[in-house]
Amino acid sequence: MKRLAAIAALAAVATATAACGTAETGALAGPGGIYTTIDGAKQIDATAPINPFNPQGSTFVGYDAMSLAWPKNDLMDPNQFYPGLAASWTATPDQGEVVIHLQPNARWSDGKPLTSEDVRVSIGLAYTQGGSAYTVNAGAAGAAADIQIMDAKTVKIVQGANRSNAFLRNVLSTVVVPAHVYGSLLPAGFWATLTAARGTGPAAEKAKTEITGLSQKVIAFAPREDVSAGPFVLERVNPGAALLKKNRYFYDAAKIVPDKVKVLNYTGNEQIWNYLVSGKLDSAPFTAVPAAVMKRIKETPGNDIRKGYSPVAASLAFNQARKPYDNVHVRRALAYLIDRNQVTKIASPEAGTPSVTTTGIHGSSAKAWLGGELGALDQYKVDPAKADQELKAAGMVKKGGTWAMPDGKPWKVQLNVPASFSDWVAAAKSITSQLNDHGIDASVVTSADYILYLDELAAGKFDMGFWLMALGPSPYNIYQRVYGSANGWSLLAGQLKHSPPGKDGNWMGGPEKIGGVNPGELTNRLNLASPEEQKKIVGTLAKLTNEQLPLIQIYDYVNTQFVNTTRYTGWPEPGSEALRLPAGVWMQLGLIKKSSL
Amino acid sequence: MKLFAARGGPRKNAVPRRLAGHLIRGLVMIWVVTTISFVIIRNIPGNPVLGQYETLIERGMSPDQAERATAALYGFLPTGSLWEQYVGYMKALIHLDLGQSLSTPGTEVVTLIASATKWTVLPVLGGTLLSFVLGVTLGVYAGIKRSGKLGDLLSISGSLLHGVPQYVIGLLVLAIFTTLWPIFPAGGPVDVEFVPGFNAGYLASLIHHATLPVLTYALASYGGWVLAMKSSVATVLGDDFILAAELRGLSRGVLFRYVARNAILPLFTILALSLGMLFGGAIFIERIFNYPGLGLLLVDSIGSRDYALMGGTFLVTTMAIIVANIAADLLYAVIDPRVRSGGAA
Repeated sequence: MKRLAAIAALAAVATATAACGTAETGALAGPGGIYTTIDGAKQIDATAPINPFNPQGSTFVGYDAMSLAWPKNDLMDPNQFYPGLAASWTATPDQGEVVIHLQPNARWSDGKPLTSEDVRVSIGLAYTQGGSAYTVNAGAAGAAADIQIMDAKTVKIVQGANRSNAFLRNVLSTVVVPAHVYGSLLPAGFWATLTAARGTGPAAEKAKTEITGLSQKVIAFAPREDVSAGPFVLERVNPGAALLKKNRYFYDAAKIVPDKVKVLNYTGNEQIWNYLVSGKLDSAPFTAVPAAVMKRIKETPGNDIRKGYSPVAASLAFNQARKPYDNVHVRRALAYLIDRNQVTKIASPEAGTPSVTTTGIHGSSAKAWLGGELGALDQYKVDPAKADQELKAAGMVKKGGTWAMPDGKPWKVQLNVPASFSDWVAAAKSITSQLNDHGIDASVVTSADYILYLDELAAGKFDMGFWLMALGPSPYNIYQRVYGSANGWSLLAGQLKHSPPGKDGNWMGGPEKIGGVNPGELTNRLNLASPEEQKKIVGTLAKLTNEQLPLIQIYDYVNTQFVNTTRYTGWPEPGSEALRLPAGVWMQLGLIKKSSL
Repeated sequence: MKLFAARGGPRKNAVPRRLAGHLIRGLVMIWVVTTISFVIIRNIPGNPVLGQYETLIERGMSPDQAERATAALYGFLPTGSLWEQYVGYMKALIHLDLGQSLSTPGTEVVTLIASATKWTVLPVLGGTLLSFVLGVTLGVYAGIKRSGKLGDLLSISGSLLHGVPQYVIGLLVLAIFTTLWPIFPAGGPVDVEFVPGFNAGYLASLIHHATLPVLTYALASYGGWVLAMKSSVATVLGDDFILAAELRGLSRGVLFRYVARNAILPLFTILALSLGMLFGGAIFIERIFNYPGLGLLLVDSIGSRDYALMGGTFLVTTMAIIVANIAADLLYAVIDPRVRSGGAA
């Protein structure tokens, strides 16, 4: 018992000492205090290098990892940005040339000035990683073809011949790293190799291999210390949290109020709930929260919620390679039977609004894109009589109060969801319950985790499954989720091709053409079209999607951020275009102030 | 003299022979387990890069950003046939190269395991030793006083705690000490505000953060020790030497020591195996308290289909258990003369 008492005493002493110690260091942080948050995009891995090219790297977007600019949460225009390291920019109407003017006072945390060479090296490093504007795939739309240094603070980036309207936003999203730290990763002759890679033939292939062969070296690169041009610089990281201190060389340092930022780690949502209930977090991106926990979070002094537009929706997607889901009448019947209000109330009462109808677009942005046309679309309001008509039109038969296949065989509807997505599981249960009430034998089947779910989905193992869609604001991204690789259309060396169901990840299995319209081709054109043409295409695709229902849009997500006004204030207003950005960007915009409470 | 030399020779050789046998069996077992786990791991369904891409989308990243963040990860996936991968893996293993992680791309698996091991040792070793000391001490009382109220109380407490799953105890401890009576931190191994090193603030923070995981681990394993010790004591109490000691009129204290020393022998084997299991981490406890040990590393590696990390973690756990088995066997021979002399003593 003495030992037990000794252990208890030791723990008590530790508790007291640690509590005093925390208070002491907190006070020493400075008058701006320590801003506490979490990184919604990744969990902290203290062994990861301080390198923004590493997906798990110990850098934090908006704090010590900086882009040229920060995307606004616009309903329609994906090219709206707040300035970042780029103070301003211009682009030709076809986005063939983008000129970036860097912040004149921007410096790295070691005092060296940020220059055009830093941007050039960062772009070179981005080429080794591939994707978006910096791809070495010949013919890919929207690829950069040349980078010219105009002066120490001005860079011109030229797009290749196959122009895309995504070029500007991809350039502005470039993460900039210091050339004096990362420059040695690019071998001598890199730019000549890059030029060679843009050609064709064996020499070009060799050059491409050389460039992509650098990717692992770039990802694994571990600078000894953080050199940041952002408002903060990493002080230290452990598996539980990262601590960032103010970068005194930041170009707009006067706007940055907190002296330090503490980014807490989490292994699951439960930890985030605990942080929120205990009032530890000054802000946090939305996390799925059960109603009882949400009540406790709201009861914590200072806690508040900011809501805004979130360009994501949850849908129930069909595998049209499987019967009877190849029949549009069956899909429509199911749409008439699902009460989306009830599903949303059960599955995502705080972070979702029932979809008005299926357009492929988030409800808020659909209004902006479609205007009056939206009202003309069938809303698929709950109507069992219409559902019966549709099922009969599909040849389905009702036997003993249960709907069966046209040949009389049982029709068993299985809804597949990943077990770890609590809102989708709740939604699926609600939907099956509604279908059961209408004589359809429906059940929920869960996959152990999301990766397994995606694998089984892509392998065409499911009749239908939940699917994220409406990923705006770019219209191409929106419709690519419906008429992209999951439905057979993919881009190969700049050429669009359609794969048959079951091949190349085509699990939706929809037809290549519907009434003479090729939706994949139209979707692909969205990346190349002018704003006027985009609007026409979106109108066509929305109407087609609403009629054909390759998926049923269930609920549109609401961007729901948690904030606590005890220590800081000045949060973006509800619905603000900055709401989805990290708090580090809010600070750069001069929003966050010390609370007077 | 001859007689002694004849008996001493084989006894002298017995330990090295036993050790050599154990090592050979251990190596074979490691190879078998590594091969089986390799095949299982490589056949777990799921594309880790696609999974990573969709996870980033789910977290609100735009498709362009998610593509940028994951495009290069394909370079970290194993290539070639399963046989080629296996041969490559085994060759690398001989050079103690466990490969590079996919979930923390570019980082050596050995680095990740080493980092996690240090965080596992504190709560699991601390919890194991605390529960062992408490369980064994109270188990002796429970065995001796088994027909009294104290014995009943200890037995019931042991049975109850033994029956409650580790994660339930963890959640209860978490709720009590971080929400109802918030005197301990909810997660993490140490407050990042303290400069790492041998300073009071850092060490206190370390203990402060480890208290709840240690307490949970100790509570979850305490019941097993109490019940095992009680049962062992009950067996020893029926032995002739105890009766002889009582007849000789030895004091209760001496009698207690006799009983405890003899009853604890079987528990040393369990303790050695528990210390081997230590390297498997305490999955639920580490998850609940966000403690970055080996258990959490294993779970995360499975979730992200990080083949190299999964293989490395399985390998370390396997090796630790096999080494612990060997150590337990040898230790038993050292502490129990009956085993040393083949039961002749």
